[in-house]
Amino acid sequence: MNDKENIENLIVRYLNGNYTQEEQEELKTWIDESQVNRSEFLQIKDIWDSLNNQKDNTAEQLAQFYKKQYSKSKTKQLIWIRSLSAVAAILLLGLVISVLVPFSRETPSENLQVFSVPLGSRSKVMLADGSEVSLNSGSELRYSTGFSSENRVVSLSGEAFFNVKSDAKHPFTVKTSDFDIKVTGTKFNVCSYSDNKYSTATLAEGRISLRLKENADMLKVEPGEKFQLDRKTQKHSLDEADVESEMAWKDDHFIFKNIPFPELAKRLERWYDVKLNYSDQKLQEYAFTGKFKNQETIWQVLDALKLTTPIDYQKTSFREFSIIYKPLKNN
Amino acid sequence: MIEFDFLFHKYHRRLLLFTLKFVESESDALDIVQNVFVAIWENGKYRQNENLVQAYLFSAVKKSCLNYLKHQKIIKKFENETALQLREIEAIHFQSGEKSLIESENLKQINDAIDSLSEIYKEVIVLSRFEGLKNSEIAKQLNLPVRTVETRVFRALSALKEKISQKSFFILLFLNRLR
Repeated sequence: MNDKENIENLIVRYLNGNYTQEEQEELKTWIDESQVNRSEFLQIKDIWDSLNNQKDNTAEQLAQFYKKQYSKSKTKQLIWIRSLSAVAAILLLGLVISVLVPFSRETPSENLQVFSVPLGSRSKVMLADGSEVSLNSGSELRYSTGFSSENRVVSLSGEAFFNVKSDAKHPFTVKTSDFDIKVTGTKFNVCSYSDNKYSTATLAEGRISLRLKENADMLKVEPGEKFQLDRKTQKHSLDEADVESEMAWKDDHFIFKNIPFPELAKRLERWYDVKLNYSDQKLQEYAFTGKFKNQETIWQVLDALKLTTPIDYQKTSFREFSIIYKPLKNN
Repeated sequence: MIEFDFLFHKYHRRLLLFTLKFVESESDALDIVQNVFVAIWENGKYRQNENLVQAYLFSAVKKSCLNYLKHQKIIKKFENETALQLREIEAIHFQSGEKSLIESENLKQINDAIDSLSEIYKEVIVLSRFEGLKNSEIAKQLNLPVRTVETRVFRALSALKEKISQKSFFILLFLNRLR
């Protein structure tokens, strides 16, 4: 038996995991003898290792990865959405945050990511650049898969509160059907529902520039100000805002100050995913102020309105109520 | 396909196979690979150009393997030191920048290259590598002396090494001709 063949057998025995301590040391001595020997051993072993029929458990491992990340994010009380792939984890956390689970879907065009929040529910999205977006009921946030800390553009329909990660070099743009907003790092609320009379943008901190679609002029909004656009007439105004109540929804508080009945009805419809029907014109004459926490049911809210305002209600069908004008007796 | 999932699907198995070169315990190897993915998830590196990500993933795994072996050396002081030394030689080799076939070649092509081997070589590779038989079991099954089996396995591996070192396009051409 020649040495070369002996070593070859030794290597194979080693790879096969069937060798004695002496054989192993003999192999080690041979490997240490020269660079050529070492290189031959390493190459042969590399071939052996690459021919592996190891069971492919990638999918299982990926699920485990998300499970781990999810339990981490739970302790931090934050949702981390680094990519759409985190959807599984978000859906779970969504249950904690909102009444119903917000769903996310990929659009047919594939390069678009969409986060939709159904009526009656709210959700939070963490974007890849570290910005945080709270989405109110019936809202949709879209952005291309190319979204990154250098390319920060999102589209919104509905209402959202943005806490934008500061980066002066890469402005963050929010597109709505009525206007585009450009910021570098601020906290602001955008409300742009397609069935609302007004679209608004309210600034809590920092600075935002706003551009109406057909008008190239940039409008500046200062902290504490609210930009309001009449969607029909395209008239707009800049007023002092009640920032706290304007943005309370993101903390599951439902605050409204001096709002006309149609707006209240619309907000309640979205908030509770119900339909409120009314026809009496007298209702339009009243302005409503109130504060609810999300714990209250639609029944409790309507009962409160019934006791304090000239309103009565009847349940007409599943998640549908009829609102009737009924003067208060004691007034 | 989603960026992160895409990377996970594309590289997880390769990284695991690479790690298993040095780490005997499968659960330890899975941990090492998971941790590397956690790192790129948390530091956002997965959003970089794929070549950079790939290089990062492998270099992170190489580093982890070497650290793992160092740690093993400490906790298993006198127990089978030679085995750890052999592994360490290998780990240092790859950390110095050498690329494993697992990292640089298409694994499916390597597996497919087995078809180009002569029947007696192919047979022993399939039995030892894919069916996980011991050399002595193969010997019994083929009614051959153990040493003959060992020699055949070595020759088969050498032949594959030759084929692969003649660049992967050769394998491609060869496979195309086979079909």
